Amino acid sequence: MTDAFSRHLAATPPNTAFERTSGSTTVPPRSKAGSGGRGRGGRSVAAEVWVVLSLLAALVPLGYLVSVSLMSQGQISAGSLVPLPPDWGNWSAALTETGLPRAVLNSIVAALGGALLTLAFALPAAWAMARHRTGGRSLAGLVLSPWLLPPIVAIVPLFSLLRVLGLNNTLVGLTLVYALTNTAVAIWLLEGFVRRLPVEVDEAAQLDGAGEWRVLVSVVTPLLTPALIAVGVIVAVLNYNEFLFATFLTQGPDAQTVPVILSLMLGERVQDFGTIAAASLVGVVPVYAAAVFLQHRLVGGLTAGSLT
Amino acid sequence: MAPAVLSLVVLGGYPLVFIALAAFTESSLGRPFQEFVGAATFESVLADGDATASLLRGVVYALLVAVVSVALGVATAVALWRSVRAGAVVRTLLLLPMITPPVVVGVLWKLVFTPSGGLVDTVLGAVIPGGATFSVLSHPVFAFLGVALADVWEWTPLIVLLVFAALIGQDAAITEAASLDGAHGFRLFRSITLPAIAGTVAAAFLIRLVLAFKVFDLVYVMTSGGPGQATTLPAYVIWQAALQQFDVGRAAAVTLLLAVVVTLVTLPVVAVTRRLHND
Repeated sequence: MTDAFSRHLAATPPNTAFERTSGSTTVPPRSKAGSGGRGRGGRSVAAEVWVVLSLLAALVPLGYLVSVSLMSQGQISAGSLVPLPPDWGNWSAALTETGLPRAVLNSIVAALGGALLTLAFALPAAWAMARHRTGGRSLAGLVLSPWLLPPIVAIVPLFSLLRVLGLNNTLVGLTLVYALTNTAVAIWLLEGFVRRLPVEVDEAAQLDGAGEWRVLVSVVTPLLTPALIAVGVIVAVLNYNEFLFATFLTQGPDAQTVPVILSLMLGERVQDFGTIAAASLVGVVPVYAAAVFLQHRLVGGLTAGSLT
Repeated sequence: MAPAVLSLVVLGGYPLVFIALAAFTESSLGRPFQEFVGAATFESVLADGDATASLLRGVVYALLVAVVSVALGVATAVALWRSVRAGAVVRTLLLLPMITPPVVVGVLWKLVFTPSGGLVDTVLGAVIPGGATFSVLSHPVFAFLGVALADVWEWTPLIVLLVFAALIGQDAAITEAASLDGAHGFRLFRSITLPAIAGTVAAAFLIRLVLAFKVFDLVYVMTSGGPGQATTLPAYVIWQAALQQFDVGRAAAVTLLLAVVVTLVTLPVVAVTRRLHND
């Protein structure tokens, strides 16, 4: 079944569409067909309307979250939708009373550390699978197959592993778990990039006397840097957003991540929705910032790599 | 290079082997593999109706969420592709739900559905003045649909992204030739564009099904499986068994049963996807 994923995604040609700034001139097929008469004009309006509606659908709930974060408890239960006057108390409470800043830091460390380790595990494997046909097509599917199931039961062996290593309830332990759990996805995404790299590059380096690891480290890695960044960003976002492992494997403020802190706030007897909303927004800032700054690479990794 | 691959197979295969062993033994959270019990765990899971009901609920949920997400996602991708004005900023904004942490997505929709002062309640109160407060998440059917809506909101952007990529990646020469031959508008879309993206749409549907079968965080944050068992989806049942009742054997058995169910549901989709690809 995973084999089917890869093969079908493989049907789609590579592209960097999301990276282009679009305008009427950048989409040739449409402007070519644009001579079709007034019917096309009508459809284009429908497209614009649909885009606006989907923007509203994506953004109104987020806007409501912002709105709630600026309301006092009284304003929320009175059913106001716009916080006038805005009450910044929730934001200061979220930043000072909840251990949130530390949790954001923990999340970022676990996300980036896990992503770097994942890339270190995944690149040799992806390269071996793409170049030497190690394991054939079915290995790629086999490697990804745990992804098809809820990871809950896998917590138990991972927990035992951490206990053996003396790393349970530490940020290092959580980082290690993230590194292992996302390696399969990273291999799957990287393999497409490796396959597009001309074999001649490796062969030239090997003729010059470079061994396999040397080729990988000094030749392949530099060439794949854009792909590594793209896949790294995707894996880091997955790590940052992860909740189940984090809540089970971390018990104290030294290791707890943002989703864990949020779930603890939700678990309190009296739920302070304003502060929870503000804390959620603070927690979301790093991923949204990463998305805005690295949008091209993020999207490139999701489409170009796995889809080639 | 083979050692790297081998160690990876061991690491990836270890949890799977653990699940298989735990399902056939008496296993608690602290002490797995106490005693071989054969298929006894499966018999008790199948005998008590809760687990099977949740698996059935999971199938309904996954199909509903996947169909709605793919329909909305394809429509949005096509609209983005046709729109003259939508640029990189619009596309980035549309992707935001997908990268929002699922716990935050749960918080967000829980707030929207809150009975006193939530978005739905307030809007309904404005439309129907004097109506009683309406609590979406404490009604079995609406709670189920509420979690599904949050899930659709979160993951439809992934479909948009994949389908939009396929639309842009079409061979421009074919489209051009068809339009020179007189194909325009809807006819051009149906005979040229749709077949070109059909494989991607099917693959996106497959990915979406799997994501919906695995949903846990949204249920945990929004409803805790309730009211009653209305939103007790398979991943939540597995979590309850493993981490609330410490019965890892039962959790592993439900996980394996879910694997069977996921396979049965996705096999036809995989078959369709294969055929579209070979065309």
